[in-house]
Amino acid sequence: MSHMHENAMTRGESHHTRCVPALALALSVALVLVATLALLPVSALAMTTNKATARPNEDGGSGVIGAMDTRLTWEGTVGDDEEVSSITLSLPEGATFDHASTRITVLDGLNRTSIDGTATSSGNSVDVQFSEGIPAGSLVRLEITNMQFPADGGDYVVSGGYTTADGQSHVLDDSAAITVIANTPLQAAVSWLDAQPWVAAWNSNPFLGMFFKPQLLLTSFASLFPGWLVCLGIVLACYPFAIVLGLAFAMLKTSRHKVLRAIAICYINLLRGTPLFLQIYIMFFGLPMVGINIDNNVLGVIVMAVNSSAYLAEIFRAGIQSIPQGQYEAAASLGMNGFQTMTSIILPQTVRRVIPTVTSDFITSYKDTSLLSSVGVMELMMFSKNLTTTTGNITPYMAAAIYYLIVTLPLIKVVGIIENNIARSERGGGPRPKRRAVAGASQQASKAEEELTASAEVSHVEAAKPAADVFAALSAPFVSHPTVDLGGVADGE
Amino acid sequence: MASKHRHSHGDVPVVPDALSAEEAANLAFASDQTLTKHHFTEGEHPIVRIEHLNKSFDETKVLRDVNLDVWPGEVVVVLGPSGSGKSTMLRCINLLETPTAGHILIEDQEITGQSKTDVNKLRREVGMVFQSFNLFPHLTAKQNVMIGQTKVLKRSKEDAEAEAMKQLTAVGLADRADFKPPQLSGGQQQRVAIARAVAMHPNVLLFDEPTSALDPELVRGVLDVIRDLAENSGMTMIVVTHEMDFAREVADRVVFMEDGVVVEQGVPEKVFDHPENARTAEFLGSIG
Ligand SMILES: Nc1ncnc2c1ncn2[C@@H]1O[C@H](COP(=O)(O)OP(=O)(O)O)[C@@H](O)[C@H]1O
Ligand SMILES: [Mg+2]
Repeated sequence: MSHMHENAMTRGESHHTRCVPALALALSVALVLVATLALLPVSALAMTTNKATARPNEDGGSGVIGAMDTRLTWEGTVGDDEEVSSITLSLPEGATFDHASTRITVLDGLNRTSIDGTATSSGNSVDVQFSEGIPAGSLVRLEITNMQFPADGGDYVVSGGYTTADGQSHVLDDSAAITVIANTPLQAAVSWLDAQPWVAAWNSNPFLGMFFKPQLLLTSFASLFPGWLVCLGIVLACYPFAIVLGLAFAMLKTSRHKVLRAIAICYINLLRGTPLFLQIYIMFFGLPMVGINIDNNVLGVIVMAVNSSAYLAEIFRAGIQSIPQGQYEAAASLGMNGFQTMTSIILPQTVRRVIPTVTSDFITSYKDTSLLSSVGVMELMMFSKNLTTTTGNITPYMAAAIYYLIVTLPLIKVVGIIENNIARSERGGGPRPKRRAVAGASQQASKAEEELTASAEVSHVEAAKPAADVFAALSAPFVSHPTVDLGGVADGE
Repeated sequence: MASKHRHSHGDVPVVPDALSAEEAANLAFASDQTLTKHHFTEGEHPIVRIEHLNKSFDETKVLRDVNLDVWPGEVVVVLGPSGSGKSTMLRCINLLETPTAGHILIEDQEITGQSKTDVNKLRREVGMVFQSFNLFPHLTAKQNVMIGQTKVLKRSKEDAEAEAMKQLTAVGLADRADFKPPQLSGGQQQRVAIARAVAMHPNVLLFDEPTSALDPELVRGVLDVIRDLAENSGMTMIVVTHEMDFAREVADRVVFMEDGVVVEQGVPEKVFDHPENARTAEFLGSIG
């Protein structure tokens, strides 16, 4: 406030000096003016900018979005001793008045004065020439429709100038800033949601508004995306290492040498017997203490790989040991050595058998990357936690849940399909030879056959139950929880 | 002799050293004349020699001083009640079991007490067909027959494939070449297993109850394949079976085992029609 007064006073002085020769008078008038201004800030000597606002775009919700047609409303008051003949308004680079049309409203007190004018646009400024001078003290309102703010978004002030009837040019005060939202499809969508009555109704429900606020869900998806990539990146980077390590320790654990077996057992049991959370803390806080500084993401990959490898080692060992002795004997009877037997007979069968269990473990690892948020890895949990803190809304967590689910749900489905396929091929069904409908047979007949096949399929599935159960038993402990012991099937030593 | 050193624990039977090749050949030539229909000549050496073979599992003595010579091209059928040690004897021949004492010689080469690689080399020479087929379920029938050829014999893929198709045709399964074992019947699986063993061109082929796991209606097809091999391939075969008619038909010699010993052996007509041993007679009576 005080700043504005000072400003007005300075201008008033300079103005006065030009108009009135007597210095004494000028001083006294100035004093009076200062006093008056203090009481009535509106009645200025020079033209003042009262306000500049932009109307939200069509369907734009409550925000003003850049690079979309909007209406800029500018209001100013003509100074007491002035008569204004033209006004120029400018916005920063990127704004455009090119297709704008301008409506002029002049109010003298409460009376509308009809004054016409012509507006000429040139890029980011518009120049309005009035048909006659606007008298002192009048309020001028310029409503410029179909103009656009810069696409980038940000806070923009309307600047410009005006000319008085005597041909003098003056500078206009900057308006208060107008906040413009960057023009992204997302923002457009959010703004659209803001404007929808059903969204308002939805959000008025305390539960829905807190957990599933549509606008926030949308922005959360965008903000969480990098975190999701980090999660995927970590688990995808760690898993090949985990598989190789796991296979190595599975081999060690089934080795004939006592020492190798002991090493494998220690490794596997220590990692499976302690929480991953603890392992993360030990590595992330421990390594820097001894001067080893590894990038957070890389260390995350390492910790996850080592942890997963212990579980995979058990899965692989159980898988290898589930291959019947007869397979080893058949390979041996052909003269294969141990390596050939392992690589071309045992492991290929093991892979088929462990794929469901390994996939379940992958799902677990993917979810467990969330624990890395506690040590500052910028993954999904971290992003959603931050967003929830700033918005005070739970919706970002829900968005995170969806990001986890879009990976885990299809994988869970895949596990089911593979389990069924294995059960089917183990029982000897396999892909059945294609049966062609007999030529000339009616639609009805072939449909009946289809149904028959379908019901036969069902009974086969029933028959396959025992085989399926074996795999369920093998994988069940992982499906439910990662740290549950493998139980009888896997640990049958 | 090597086995004596390796198995110092328990009461390991003390057996004499293996005979020299000449000595063994002469002895076998003298004794086997009346025991087999197979024709062999003086100076020829038995391809498989089993001398004083003993095998124990922990305290259980399963084989007790088994002695047997098998001539090149001979078809020997081994009979005997369940648990008499027939499988164990076969498994000792390709070292799936390690003999506790005694000697097994193949082409006059002692196989007991060899290094790892030698064992693998020996096993190429000795094929085996298992009671439970033991096909590789992740491979097609053709791949099952090819894998030993390519991995072990290092045959080219083309050669192995040609050989595989030849053997699958021989067992009547050319049209099932691209089926995986679970898609085949038990009889078909066993025929693929036979093709797999034969494709390695072993010197000796062992059959351990090849039809015992089959439904009765599938037995015949498998026996036909084995009979064809016995009559036309000239391969040395040792067949453990309970199929008496088949044994009588294809065997050059029948060996009857009981309780870990060879109780009686001879040409099929002799063993089947005029068994000398009471246990043999009883067993054949109960079966036939
Ligand atoms: N791996 C083994 N461990 C312990 N005992 C065994 C083993 N294999 C076979 N046996 C025993 O050896 C005996 C002979 O078995 P086997 O050679 O299979 O007899 P057959 O084939 O004549 O029926 C049986 O009493 C069996 O229980
Ligand atoms: Mg047996």
